[in-house]
Amino acid sequence: MPLEKVVRKIPSSQREATSEKLIDIVLKSRNSKKMPSSLAKTILYYWQKEQLASEVGLQRLLKASLLIDPEKTTAVLRELGFEKLAAMLQKS
Amino acid sequence: MVKFGIEFVPRDLYWKTTFYAIQAEKTGFNTLWITDHFNNRNVYVSLTMVSAYTDRIRFGPGVTNPFMAHPIVAAQAVATLNEIAPGRVVCGIGVGDKTTLEMVNLKPSKPLATIRESVKIIREIASGESLDLQGRIFTVSGARLNFRTTSRIPIFVGAQGPKMLALAAEVGDGVLINASHPHDVKRAMEFVTNGASRAGKKISDLEIAAYTSFSIAREQKEAEKAVAPVVAYIVAGCPEQVLQRHGVTTETADEIRRAIVQGKWKDAFSHVTVDMIDSFSITGTSKTVLSKIEQLVKAGITQVVVGSPIGPDIRESISMISREVFPRFLSVQE
Repeated sequence: MPLEKVVRKIPSSQREATSEKLIDIVLKSRNSKKMPSSLAKTILYYWQKEQLASEVGLQRLLKASLLIDPEKTTAVLRELGFEKLAAMLQKS
Repeated sequence: MVKFGIEFVPRDLYWKTTFYAIQAEKTGFNTLWITDHFNNRNVYVSLTMVSAYTDRIRFGPGVTNPFMAHPIVAAQAVATLNEIAPGRVVCGIGVGDKTTLEMVNLKPSKPLATIRESVKIIREIASGESLDLQGRIFTVSGARLNFRTTSRIPIFVGAQGPKMLALAAEVGDGVLINASHPHDVKRAMEFVTNGASRAGKKISDLEIAAYTSFSIAREQKEAEKAVAPVVAYIVAGCPEQVLQRHGVTTETADEIRRAIVQGKWKDAFSHVTVDMIDSFSITGTSKTVLSKIEQLVKAGITQVVVGSPIGPDIRESISMISREVFPRFLSVQE
C-alpha cells in the first residue's frame, strides 16, 4: 500500500502523536545510517517548517522509520491503535 | 537578561545534529556552537547545514583552534558562512583540546601570543581588510579575501586559565569561560574584569558566557551516566591548578588521558566520580541545574552555554530545558 494512503488513514487528531513517535525511532535507532541523505534533508526541511505532522511530512517520516526500523515502526502504529495499518505495512 | 547557548559535538550523523539545531532555534536558544575536533565531522560543514536550516539563531565554531589550521582558514570559513547567514555568525577560538591535539603530535605552545594574533587575523580578514602582520607566531603579508564580506563577526575567546581569561576580555568581543562550577566561574570573572579594564573596556561591553558541560534528565543517575565521558575528557585536559582546586590528583588525570589516547574508553570513564561530575559539569534534574545556573547568573555571566552531552536523550533534554529552565530565568529577570 502506498504510504500516502497509509498516512491518510491516520486521523488528523493523532498525527502529532504519531509524528513524535516516529521521530524518536529515526533519531534513536542504531540503524540511523540507513537513512538516505536526500530523505534526511527532506525531513529536515519539513521539521524546519513545522510540517512533520502534516500529511506529507508524516509520509516522509514513515518512509524513514520503515527503512531504519520496520519492526519498531509497526509496533508504534499498533501502540497508537492502528492495528490494520501495521498489519498492511508488515505484509508489504 | 541571561541568554542561552547550546553546543553540539558533530559526532552524530550530520542530519541528527541539524535536527537538534533546528529544535534549539525553535525552543529559544540564542546561540549555537559546534565543536572543532579533527576526529569528528567537520565543524564548518556542520555549520553550513545549520545555516541552511535555521533562520534566527546565531552560530559558530565553539571553539576552533589555531594549532590544527592557520587562523586565516577560520577567517575565510566564518566570512563565507556570514554570506549565507548574514549577521548570525560568531567565531569562537581557543587553544583547543589538548588530548586530540596530542593525537596528531601538536602542542599548543605560546598559547597567549597565538590566540592574540589569531584574533587579529580573523577579525581583520573576516572584515574584508587587507592584513600585514609580523607577529611572534604568524606572518601575514597583504592577505585579503577575494570576496566582499557582509558584517562584522563577533569573536569569542575560549579561556580557562587566568592569563587567557584576561586576554580573552582584552581582545575578544566575548569570553567563553571554560567552566561549569559556580566557584570557578566567579573566580574567572575577576580575571575577565581585569583584562577588560586593561583594554579600557567596560565589562558590560563584553558578552561573557559560561561554557558548561551540561546534562539534564528526569533522574540524577541518568544525567550522570550521560555526562561521565565528557567529564573524563575535561579532567584529562584540565590545568593542574584547576584539578587541585577540585581535589583531583594529576595522576588520576594522567591515567584518564592515557586511557583516552589509547582508546580504552571504559577504563577512562571508570575513573570519573560523582565529585568530578559536580566540579566539571552542570548535571542533574531541572531542580539541580536551575540552582547552579542561578549561581552562574549571579556571578555576572550573560550567556549560559548548554554544552555536551546536554542529556541522555538530546531531544528530550532540549525540550526539558525550554519547559523547565527557560521560564524560571524569564520570570527572575522580569
